[in-house]
Amino acid sequence: MSVAGFWLLVFMLTVYVLLDGYDLGVAMIAPFVARSDGERAAAMRSIGPFWNGNEVWLISTAAVLFALFPQAYASLFSGFYLPFMIVLWLLMLRGISLELRGHFPSRVWHDFWDACFFIPSALLVLLFGVALGNLLRGLPLNNSGFFLGTFAFLLNPYALLVGVFAVAALGMHGAAFLMLRLRGAPSDRCAAAFVWMWGAVVLLYLAVTLSTFLLRGELGGIHFFATAMIALSLAALLAILMARARNRDVATFLASAAFLATLLVAAAGTIFPYLVPAYPGGRNGISIYSASSSGLTTAFVFTIVALVATIAYSAVVWRRVGRKVRV
Amino acid sequence: MDALIADRSQFAFTIMFHYLFPITTIGLAPFVAGYTLKAALRPNDEAARAAAFWTKIFAISFALGVVTGIPMEFQFGTNWATFSARSGSIVGQPLALESLYAFFLESIFLGVLLYGKRYVAPLFHAASAVLVGIGSWLSGFFIVATNAWMQHPVGYRIGPGGKIELDNLEAVLLSPFAWWQYLHVLMGALVAGGFVVAGIGAYYLLSQREPSLGKRFVRSGVIVAAICSVLTVFPTGDRQGADVTTYQAEKLAAMEGLFPTERGAPLAIIGMPDTAGERLIDPIDVPEFLSFLAYGNVRADVKGLDYYRRSTWPPVELTYYAYHMMVGLGSAFVVISLLAMLLLWRNLLFRRRWMLWALFLAIPFPYLANEAGWVVTEVGRQPWLIYGLMRTSEAASPNVDAGETIFTLLGFAGMYLVLGVLFLYLVLREIGIGPSGSHDIGPAAERAA
Repeated sequence: MSVAGFWLLVFMLTVYVLLDGYDLGVAMIAPFVARSDGERAAAMRSIGPFWNGNEVWLISTAAVLFALFPQAYASLFSGFYLPFMIVLWLLMLRGISLELRGHFPSRVWHDFWDACFFIPSALLVLLFGVALGNLLRGLPLNNSGFFLGTFAFLLNPYALLVGVFAVAALGMHGAAFLMLRLRGAPSDRCAAAFVWMWGAVVLLYLAVTLSTFLLRGELGGIHFFATAMIALSLAALLAILMARARNRDVATFLASAAFLATLLVAAAGTIFPYLVPAYPGGRNGISIYSASSSGLTTAFVFTIVALVATIAYSAVVWRRVGRKVRV
Repeated sequence: MDALIADRSQFAFTIMFHYLFPITTIGLAPFVAGYTLKAALRPNDEAARAAAFWTKIFAISFALGVVTGIPMEFQFGTNWATFSARSGSIVGQPLALESLYAFFLESIFLGVLLYGKRYVAPLFHAASAVLVGIGSWLSGFFIVATNAWMQHPVGYRIGPGGKIELDNLEAVLLSPFAWWQYLHVLMGALVAGGFVVAGIGAYYLLSQREPSLGKRFVRSGVIVAAICSVLTVFPTGDRQGADVTTYQAEKLAAMEGLFPTERGAPLAIIGMPDTAGERLIDPIDVPEFLSFLAYGNVRADVKGLDYYRRSTWPPVELTYYAYHMMVGLGSAFVVISLLAMLLLWRNLLFRRRWMLWALFLAIPFPYLANEAGWVVTEVGRQPWLIYGLMRTSEAASPNVDAGETIFTLLGFAGMYLVLGVLFLYLVLREIGIGPSGSHDIGPAAERAA
């Protein structure tokens, strides 16, 4: 049951990255592809109806982590007190900029909130990437499972590389979403630059994959899971390029989503059965067995039922509201 | 400042600021849903303008509620790690249910309500408004259920290492304690919603704008405020008082400022508690009335604070003053709204300027009463975090020190100051523009473009 709980969390986090990933991606590329005030308003409008529901996937992942693995929730959140607070403030700024920009007709007001949209979103993606990198690398934990390291420990070259990769991958995801949802100059600019973004993502992907193997010292004995995930990621990367070459916007976006999903599943498979692996390997890590809740099965069932319902009504809403936005 | 005080200040500050917005959205939800439904079923210009106007106020409040709500979901882990690790098997459940069953519903359909008007059928749009409302009410339930469990723990067992484990989720969610508390909280928010709608309507009438919509707002606001302010007192407030009497007797004694245990205890209307001297200074009281309220018998024995060890007393002054403020304001709401109902019934309300002024000036007070009520609930529970099971002093994160928490508390204070100013500015601006004002450059036009 703990194993099912682990993969449920991976599923929820993946859906969060696929959905809010495009919101964050649109925010990161908006300053470059949407140049006029009207174009930026349109870029925001393309994610306007969805961003809030998408963000709830993150809130729900945290809440379900609390219900399933309270020990992991407690030590993770208190161990990374300041980083979590920074994430909170950035999420708040991003959300408020989306909601308040349109309430006042002034160029200065709009530019101000555009900056509050762009900068926190880019930092959030970088931080999420750094966090994922540190999970893959492992963390120094004491006997009670509380983090012992410093900021400097968290900002290591490997984690920063994963952070930069996250920025590139979600930037591309955002571009794929904009082409799908928006008709006008910003989409054309995305289309023109797409192949370059793709190239950057491929290079960073190879660099991250290679350094992950070097870091975890498993280059000699590449096992089946890692090989399969790399094959799937490469296939998804290829599919993105082919779909783009044929101007299939839906297929491009779906392939980009599939690529992100393979990355997250690969990362999850790497740290399994740990929720918070220890550095430099092995001792004191928080595993799904040591952290699980006595209400795990109950929470699991309630979560599955809720997610089925949520996905069903989300699909209805996406179909009804998801028409193309014009500049 | 020690770490515990810093953690408590941070929680109190962030939750009290956050709560201003849920009061507004929970209280306005039926108005938004009602006007939107009306506009969809019997399309006319006035209903549509009313719906659009309240949707805008609702949307700004909702946005602030969402961004100030994010820290709440995380703070249990960041600042109260020991509490989370020990009781997460239970406390995590209603919080997860809130996110899964309420947040998704309100957030996803809010997207339709705000952006989808052009794309979906009017009834689908109105149904979205209703679903957003249901989501906000459900969200309130799960949060209150979490709190009620901490006030009166049920459905648990103590596991190895002192962990509090889930025994029966049904008992947690269907606990009568939770339901009465929830209904009381819900009525409190609806009183606020009613007074906001009536008060803004009164403002329009006093400033001789929106003659027809202003009357509509006053009428529907007054009706909701009158019904709900009565229900806040009876039965919900009364039942909750009875639960406190049964399960949290120290809190009752602190609320009432009752130091000596008495047969035929009096109800203090005013008076100043003096904890050091263990007495109520200059009380004006109704003899034997507290015994009657608590036990339905004027001769009943009510345990005073002297009956309990001092280490289990809640902070008496804060609990006492907050409780009296809530009750005093609650009574005032009953009087004002029933008086307005009477005038409405006699067709005099719109001609009595003093009554319109009273309604207009009443707007902030339900917020004070709601916050004061939560102060009674939360401060009155001290020194317990989970009543009888875990003390607040043993619940904070062991690895977060006071400096870090004070730093982030100041960060929240600064951010919330900006957010509060922005909120007031935008809401006052919408009220200034009004339901019939030209609004072809604001969000409505941008969203419809």
